[in-house]
Amino acid sequence: MTEAELRNRLLQDPVAGEQEAGQRAWEVVRSSYASRERVPWIERHSRLVLVLAVLAALTVAAVTPPGRAVVDTVRERVAQEPPPEDAFDRVPGGGRLLVLSASGPWVVQEDGSKRLLGHYEDASWSPRGLFVVATQGGRLVTLDPETGDVRWSLSHSEPVADARWSGGGLDTRIAYREGSSLHVVAGDGAPDAVLAENVPPVAPAWQPGSHVLAYVGGDQRIHVLDVDSRQELWRTRSVNGVRQLLFDDGRVVGVTAREIWVFGRHKRVLFERVARGHSILSAALVPVSGVVFADYDDAADATELISPTCSTSGACLLIPDIHVYRGAGRVGDLTTSPDGRWFAAASPDADQFLFFRRVPRLGKVVSVSDVTREFDPGGTGTRAFPHVAGWVQEVS
Amino acid sequence: MPRAGRDERAWVRGAQAGSASDLEALFRNHWPRAYRAAYLVVHDCAAAEDIAQEAFLAAVRALDSFDRRRPFGPWLHRIVVNRAIDWGRARSLRREVGDDALADARARSEPPRHQLSEGITGALAELTPEHRAVIVLRYLLEYTPGEIARMLELPRGTVNSRLRRGLDALQGRLAEEEL
Repeated sequence: MTEAELRNRLLQDPVAGEQEAGQRAWEVVRSSYASRERVPWIERHSRLVLVLAVLAALTVAAVTPPGRAVVDTVRERVAQEPPPEDAFDRVPGGGRLLVLSASGPWVVQEDGSKRLLGHYEDASWSPRGLFVVATQGGRLVTLDPETGDVRWSLSHSEPVADARWSGGGLDTRIAYREGSSLHVVAGDGAPDAVLAENVPPVAPAWQPGSHVLAYVGGDQRIHVLDVDSRQELWRTRSVNGVRQLLFDDGRVVGVTAREIWVFGRHKRVLFERVARGHSILSAALVPVSGVVFADYDDAADATELISPTCSTSGACLLIPDIHVYRGAGRVGDLTTSPDGRWFAAASPDADQFLFFRRVPRLGKVVSVSDVTREFDPGGTGTRAFPHVAGWVQEVS
Repeated sequence: MPRAGRDERAWVRGAQAGSASDLEALFRNHWPRAYRAAYLVVHDCAAAEDIAQEAFLAAVRALDSFDRRRPFGPWLHRIVVNRAIDWGRARSLRREVGDDALADARARSEPPRHQLSEGITGALAELTPEHRAVIVLRYLLEYTPGEIARMLELPRGTVNSRLRRGLDALQGRLAEEEL
């Protein structure tokens, strides 16, 4: 075979899925392009602008008494500590938050106004954010997020926890644990059924928009189940110590104390392992097929938020993982905004929520202070620190 | 100046100015080779799609700062091929534990036999991702060995030896099939 023949075959032989993949990719690229924020000219040329501004300021300051007065004023201002952000005068990136505190779940609207829904222990959003499912003792309730009114409730003898809601339109399902039993109930409250027994206390995860559920079974395997047909679609080998499950596009992410595993129908891949003496406090999915996680260093009592440059599908950038943030104490409870452009973290040591912008450029951080006073008024600080338990779009 | 080059610069300029149709033209023009290049290095349709898509998303993110005097293709191809190499390395470095059905899964992820030239992909599969990448850059994307050396940050001699070895392997494999 000549080089020309090789070239022709590489160029001309059909490649499986090229057109379909191109169509799917174009939709993603088009969407990203449509939502990008144009970089203003002044930002694109910020170095030049800065140099010119500094030169001009130095010139003015050097030659005029008023100029020297301005420099003195600027020096005083810069020396001051930046004022803390007011607590939620708006939600960074938009949308509505469900904040869970020892007082109960709060709904925070885009303009920062908030409402305590009642004295519940756990809560999460319905798929479109029209309702909230909450638990208290053996009671599972669905609530109107505007008023806190109970729409329907179920009572069990054992404590209920980890309720998660999925599906589309009126055809939704809620999975939850009653003691060590995993249940599923339709979004309108009936029927309720037991899916599995002897499950460990790990919140199940839905494949987004579907009735397909991943949960950790009593055999320590992760099971993926169509809850309507009760058909088990696939399961993994046993994995010890899974503390958090996430369901990506056809892949399940299992987080243990030091490892993040990605499971597919027929394989599992060790995605991340943190160093000895470190632990993974929390992880969240980010577009496209990415993960951010909180790596806590016990000796330093500090947490780093890390954005790996590999996706769960295995594609990698040729750069090291991105260290988004490092802060004192335990920083965790990561939650992604509905459009994936932001993610939130809770920092109990700083009594803050931190909001990180990912798109269009990673880097911007908005901190919200006095979180305990805002969401657990009267609390002594010894109770569980508030965290963002869910983030949905504004109802249109 | 070749017409394709003028078109490409116009598309980049239009996309920077907010024209989705110019971005689409740029995408449609470059997707087939980007996807094909990724596929020939990683031999996995889903990964190839992710890699090529991520490269275009990186292009969108960097659009405002992109220097229009430079050609778009080499910039995109460099990202695609480097990510594909990295994916191949990651796959071999990361411990993949196959269930019993892993073999079936691999079989399913392979393209149908009548589509991609089986002999070529089979022969490429016997090379490392780094060797596959230089073959793809040279014979699919048509870069010179000097350009490949700069793209992959390799000595030119290394590129030449990888090309030689890759070609020998391909010819040997294809000759066996023809016997």
